[in-house]
Amino acid sequence: MGKEHSIELRNVTKTYKRDEFTIPVLTDLDLVVPEGEFLALMGPSGSGKTTLLNLIAGLDNATQGSVIVHGQDLGGMSDGEITRWRSENVGFIFQLYNLIPVLTAFENVELPLLLTNLSKRKRRDNVMTALRAVGLEGREDHYPRQLSGGQEQRVAIARAIVTDPFLLVADEPTGDLDRKSAEEILSLLQQLNKGFNKTIVMVTHDPEAAQRASRLLHLDKGKLVHDEVRNNLEEGVASS
Amino acid sequence: MKFLHYVLRNARRSPVRSLLTIGAMSMCLALMMILISFLSVNDAVASSLRTYNRLVVMSSQGFAQPVPFARVNEIAGMKGVKHTTTFAWFGGKYHDEPMPFAQFGVSADSIFSIYDEFTISPDQVKAFADDKMGCVIGRKLAEERNIKIGDPLPLKGDIYPLDLNLTVRGVYDGPGTRDLRMCFFHWDFLNEELKRVSKNSKMTDNAGVVVVKCDSADRMVPLSKEIDNLYLNSATPTRTQTEEAFNQMFAEMFGDLRGMIRTIGLAVVMSLIFVSGNAMAMALRERTTEIAVLKAMGFQRPLVVNLVLTEAILVAFIGGLIGALGTKAFFDVVDLSKHSGGFLPFFFVPWPTAILGLGASLVIGFFSGIFPALAAARLSVINGLRKVV
Amino acid sequence: MIPLKYNVRNLRVRWVNTLLTMLGTGAIVWSSCILFGLVEGLQHSMKVSGDPLDVIVMRKGSTSETNSGIELTTAEKIPTLPGIARDEKGRPLAALELLNIPVVERVDGSRTNLIIRGIDPVSTELRPDFKILEGQGRMLEPGKGECVVSKNLAKRFKGASLGSELKVGEREKYRVVGIFSAGGSAAESEIWVDRKELEQNTAREGITSSVQVRANSAEDLAALKQTIENDTQFKLAAISESAYFADQSRSSAFLIVAGTIIAVLLTIGAMFAAANTMYAAIRSRTREIGTMRALGFSRFDLLISFLGESVILCTLGGLLGLAATIPLSALTYGTSNFNTFSEVTINFRFGPIVMAVAFVMTLAMGVFGGLFPAIRAVRMDVITALREV
Repeated sequence: MGKEHSIELRNVTKTYKRDEFTIPVLTDLDLVVPEGEFLALMGPSGSGKTTLLNLIAGLDNATQGSVIVHGQDLGGMSDGEITRWRSENVGFIFQLYNLIPVLTAFENVELPLLLTNLSKRKRRDNVMTALRAVGLEGREDHYPRQLSGGQEQRVAIARAIVTDPFLLVADEPTGDLDRKSAEEILSLLQQLNKGFNKTIVMVTHDPEAAQRASRLLHLDKGKLVHDEVRNNLEEGVASS
Repeated sequence: MKFLHYVLRNARRSPVRSLLTIGAMSMCLALMMILISFLSVNDAVASSLRTYNRLVVMSSQGFAQPVPFARVNEIAGMKGVKHTTTFAWFGGKYHDEPMPFAQFGVSADSIFSIYDEFTISPDQVKAFADDKMGCVIGRKLAEERNIKIGDPLPLKGDIYPLDLNLTVRGVYDGPGTRDLRMCFFHWDFLNEELKRVSKNSKMTDNAGVVVVKCDSADRMVPLSKEIDNLYLNSATPTRTQTEEAFNQMFAEMFGDLRGMIRTIGLAVVMSLIFVSGNAMAMALRERTTEIAVLKAMGFQRPLVVNLVLTEAILVAFIGGLIGALGTKAFFDVVDLSKHSGGFLPFFFVPWPTAILGLGASLVIGFFSGIFPALAAARLSVINGLRKVV
Repeated sequence: MIPLKYNVRNLRVRWVNTLLTMLGTGAIVWSSCILFGLVEGLQHSMKVSGDPLDVIVMRKGSTSETNSGIELTTAEKIPTLPGIARDEKGRPLAALELLNIPVVERVDGSRTNLIIRGIDPVSTELRPDFKILEGQGRMLEPGKGECVVSKNLAKRFKGASLGSELKVGEREKYRVVGIFSAGGSAAESEIWVDRKELEQNTAREGITSSVQVRANSAEDLAALKQTIENDTQFKLAAISESAYFADQSRSSAFLIVAGTIIAVLLTIGAMFAAANTMYAAIRSRTREIGTMRALGFSRFDLLISFLGESVILCTLGGLLGLAATIPLSALTYGTSNFNTFSEVTINFRFGPIVMAVAFVMTLAMGVFGGLFPAIRAVRMDVITALREV
C-alpha cells in the first residue's frame, strides 16, 4: 500500500461540538484516492463534503481514524509541520477565488513562492509559467477588481499550481461563475489533471461540473453513498 | 523583506482608517513632545552650559539673602578666576507689566567676557560701559518689543523702592539655548540709587549672586569649595555651584509637575496603544478570510504574526515621524517662547526627546499589533474560510 | 427616530472595539483632567485664602509679599490705626510678617524655594481655620528656635516632619514642634517661625515684609485703606486679601494654558480614534443601513442615530476617564508658583472645572468623531447598500 495510493482515509470519523451537543459530520469513512485522479465530491448541504476536503488538504484533523497522504499520517503532525506540508503539497482553489485585493495578478501568484528560498528571478519565471498555463499572460499587472470572475479564478488556479503541488483541492470552483467561464475553468482543471498528472479533489453542486471528473463520489449524512469511476468520459468532453 | 510590498499595500488598503490612526498618533505624540520638551529643554540647556566654566555664588540662605558686594572683588582675586560680575535680579515692571523680562545689575566691564557666547559689537560694549544709565538687551527682546539702540527703557521697581530710567546702548545676540530677552544694566547705578532713596542699609551693596568665570574646568570644583569655606563663618555664608547645577535647580522647582508630565505621557502612550490596537483589530477582522487563505497556502504562524506586527509598527511609525519630527520642525521654525509672556526663555524639541517620541511610536506600534497579530495567527483556517462560503 | 436601544445593542455586540475605544478616550480625558484638577485646587486655595475684611499692607509698588519690604518703624504704626478688629484678649488683629525664601531640599533630593514666614502671635487668627493637627504637636513658642510646618510640606521636605530639625542654612535651623492645617488656604504651602527669630537669622533686623490686618467692618476697611494709602510718609499699599489672592492665582494661568493645549490636542487625537471606530461600525453595517432606509427611516434619522452612537461611545470613555481622576483627589502636588518662584502645594480638587472639561471634550470627540462616518452612512445609496455582502 502507500506509494501507489496517494491519499488514503481509514475509518475516518469527524464530529463537531456545539455547546453540549456532538454533531457527527463524517462517520467511519474509508477512501483511497490514487495519484493522478480527478475526484468530484457531491452531496446535499451538510453532507460533509467540505469537511472531507479539508481533511484531505490538511486543514482539519480527524476525530478518529487516520488520513495518510504519500505514506504520511497527517494527524500526527504539529501545526507548523502541517502548514509546511500544505505549502509544498497542496494548491487551493476557492469558490470566491480569495485573491488578495491589494495585490496584482502577478503578486497574488507569487505569494506562495515567497515561502520558498527561490531567487527573485526564478520566482518570476515560475509565476510567468503558471500564468501562461492558465492563459493569462499579459494580465500580470491587473488587480483582481480589474479582472472578470473567470479570469480571477484562473489567477487563483495559477496561484495554486505555481509551487507545483501534487494535489489541488477545489471547493465549488465554478459556483460563482457563468456557464461559459465555468466550462473554461473545468477544462483547465482537466488539462492540469491529464497533462501534469495533478491529483484533484473538487467539491461541487453542479452535476455538469462533476461530469468532468474521472471519479464521482456522493456523500450523504457523513457516509459514502455512491462511488463511480468514469474512465472514458474525459476524452470525449475534452475534444468537444 | 520579500513581503514588504504586501505589508505596504495592506497599510494603504483602508486609507481612511490608516490616516485616522496616523492622525491620532501624531496629534497625541505632538502633545507628548511639547510636554516632555518643556522639561528636557531645561536639561539640554543646563548641560550646554558645561563648557563655559562658570560658577554661581549665592547666599546659602537663598535668593532673598544678599551676597555682599565686596566678595565680587575678593573672589576675582582668587587663583584660577578670570572674571567676576554681580548678577542682581531687579524684577522691575515695564510700563506696569509685572515680570516682563529678566533684568540684572551687572559689571559692565566683565559681563561680556564672562558670557563670551553672547555676540555684541565692541562699540556697543563701550557705549554701554560709558553710560552709567545705559543697558544692553537681548536681540529677541529688541525685536519683539521693537526697541532700538538709543531708546529709553523705563523699569519700575517691584522689589526695590526705586525706578530705573535706562537707555538702550547695545543689543546682544547668542545661541538659541540662551535667554535672548535679558536686560543688563550697571549694578553700580542701581546701588547708588538705592543709597540715595533708602535709609535702610540692608538693601544696598548686595551683589545678588556672583557669576565667576574660571580658567579651566579642573578648577571649578576646588574653587567652589574654597569660596564656600572662605565665607562659612561669616554673617552671610555662600553656596557655590556650577552654572549647570544652578540652572538645574530651576528645573527642579517644577517639582511634581515633572512626574505629572511623565504620567500624562504614559497615559497618552497607553491611550494610543488602545486606539491603534483597535484600528488594527478592526482591519484584521475585515481580512479574516484572507488570513485564512494565507494560512491554508502554507503561511506559518510566526510569519502571520510578523506581517501583522510590521503593518502595525509601520503605521505607528509614520504617525511617530509626523508627531515627533514634525513637532520638532514646527518649533524650530515657530518660536513659542515669544508668546509665553517671558515664562519660557526658549522652547524647542531637543533631539533626544524627538528620538524618544519615535521610539514611543515603535513601542505603541508593537503593542497595538501584537494582540491582533496573535489572534490572527491563532485563527482557525476552517472558520476563517467558512465566513465567505 | 431610530431608538437608541439599537445603538446600545450594537456597541455591546462590538464590545471589544467599544472597550478599546473607551479605554483610549478614557485615558485621554483622564490625562487632560489632571492639570485641570490642579487648576481647580489652586483656585480654590486662593479663594479660601481671602477674607473680605482682611487687607495686606505692602510697600507701594510691590506685586507680592515676597517682593515687599517695609521699615519696621513704619510697620509698627499699622496696628495702632483705628478700625482694626480685636481678638478676645483685646489684641488688635494686625500681624507683622516677614518672609524668607530659602532654597531647601525636598525628600527626593530636588531643590526649590520655600516660603518661611516669620509671624506674630495673632497671625494664626488671621488665617481661616488655622489649627495644629490633633496629636501633631503644638504651636511654636517665640524665641526658642521652633517652627510649625503645614501638613502638606511636612511629608515633602527634608527635616520638616514633626520633631526633626529643619536646616535652612548654616545659621538657620528650626525644630519642628507642630504640624498645622489652614483650611486649604495658601498658608498650607508655608513654614511658620517666630518673626523676631527670622529677622535675626537672616540679618534683616528692622525690616518686615507685610502687615496682615483685619478690619472691624466693611466701612472701617475702606477707611483703613484710605488712611494707609494716603499717608505720604508710609509709601504703602493696602490691598484687600481677596484681590491679592485673585491676583496671585494668575499663576494658575500657566496651568490653564498648559491644560487647554493638552485637552485640545488630545481631543483632536481622540476624535480620530472615535471616527475610526465609527467608520468600522458603519462599514460592517452597510446592509443594515440599506434596510433601514428601505424601511423608510430618513437620512436625518440615520445621521442622528449614528451621531448618538458616537456620543454614547465617547461618553462611556469620558465617564471612565473622569472616574479615574477621582482617586487623585487624595493627592497633593508641589510645584513652583511662578509669581514668587517658591514652592506651592496644590491639593487636587475634583470639581466643576474638571467635570466641565471632561464634558466638553467628550462631546467634541463624540460629535466631530461621529460626524464624517455618519455622513458617509447617510449618503450611501440604498440599492448598493442592500447588495453589500
